[in-house]
Amino acid sequence: MRIEIDKDLCCGAGTCVLLAPDVFDQNDEDGTVILLDATPGAEQRAAVEEAVVRCPTAVISIM
Amino acid sequence: MGRLVTGLQTARTVLGDTRFSSLPAGKRSPVKVPGSELSTDALPPGMFVNMDPPEHTRYRRLLSKHFTIRRVRELRPRIQEMTDRLLDEMESADGPVDLVQAFAKPLPTLVTSELLGLPETDRAQFGQHVDVLFSLSSSGEEMQQSMMGLGGMLHALIAAARKDPGPDILGRLTVETDLTDEELLGITIVLLIAGLETTTNMLALGTYALLRHPEQLAALRADWSLMDDAVEELLRYLSVVQIGPIRVAAEDFEFEGQSIRKGEVVTVSLPAANRDPLGFDDPDSLDIRRGATRHVAFGSGPHQCMGHHLARLELSIGYESLLRRFPRLELAVPAEEVGTREMMVTYGVLGLPVRW
Repeated sequence: MRIEIDKDLCCGAGTCVLLAPDVFDQNDEDGTVILLDATPGAEQRAAVEEAVVRCPTAVISIM
Repeated sequence: MGRLVTGLQTARTVLGDTRFSSLPAGKRSPVKVPGSELSTDALPPGMFVNMDPPEHTRYRRLLSKHFTIRRVRELRPRIQEMTDRLLDEMESADGPVDLVQAFAKPLPTLVTSELLGLPETDRAQFGQHVDVLFSLSSSGEEMQQSMMGLGGMLHALIAAARKDPGPDILGRLTVETDLTDEELLGITIVLLIAGLETTTNMLALGTYALLRHPEQLAALRADWSLMDDAVEELLRYLSVVQIGPIRVAAEDFEFEGQSIRKGEVVTVSLPAANRDPLGFDDPDSLDIRRGATRHVAFGSGPHQCMGHHLARLELSIGYESLLRRFPRLELAVPAEEVGTREMMVTYGVLGLPVRW
């Protein structure tokens, strides 16, 4: 699984950080997403897929 | 004429598509209720809810850092302390009390006051102004007076933050950004509108919903680890923001097989979307175990509520502390005598007499 993010669209809701804290973090300066792990293991797939669905601005893609 | 969006997926798509503009020009509310009058004037400085990207993005990014998960989690002990103090006072009353006045209103007011750096000595007066502005029964004259009173307090607060910036949001914004006083005023008003009435109504209406569904309440009391799921389900089931978000088409375009014309007004119904049978099984039932995480109670898209982590924290601390403190909490009047806010943008109960 490889993850891509479109940071320009990020509104800093932090939903992804709540769901998959090992994969995503939030920038302390503007709240936008920081991708901690672009190629997480299979055990993260369900959490990342949920983050894709719940991200309010559709920032996250699984390639 | 206008369009009403009632489906969950379409609501998300509309709110995520900035061709549906948030600018005030041309926006109209589908129904006339207090608080729904929309300005067609020029953009007030700092009122970022009425902006599109990139202007909206600029304000949002300046503010988002104050509402990250990390920052909100740091507030937990303080919110718990405020909650416990309010419950102490409520308990000492020892009789039926109105939960709205004793708890649901003061808690978000205290939290917001602290975030904005409002001195303790000003909080009672601040609460009174807010009360008048959000009340159904206020006269035009009272509203005007409170508006001026609140405006004066906020101007004084901004001036004080410039002179001696504290660790609160206003203090930080004066130091870390080049926002003008007018922009800070607009931002502060947005934070007040977004954070006070919504949370107050969720706290009171959510408690009412649990009291009216004793089997759900019993399940929660038997297993407090259901609290986060219960908060999500109450947010979905109650959807206190009844009217809007409202958007206006910025151009002609095809959308989900329909021709949208520039200037058309599109209103999203969050309560309808949150009870879309395609999104939730048996959507009209309150079921705290359903894991209702995909609701749109906080909206969606770039304007999704920035304070959602804070709201969730206030609700989970508020419900759990209240229910644990009063194991026999019950309505002090027959359920059908509890009045609801039928004609307001934010739904809720007018009062909630409870005893224990």
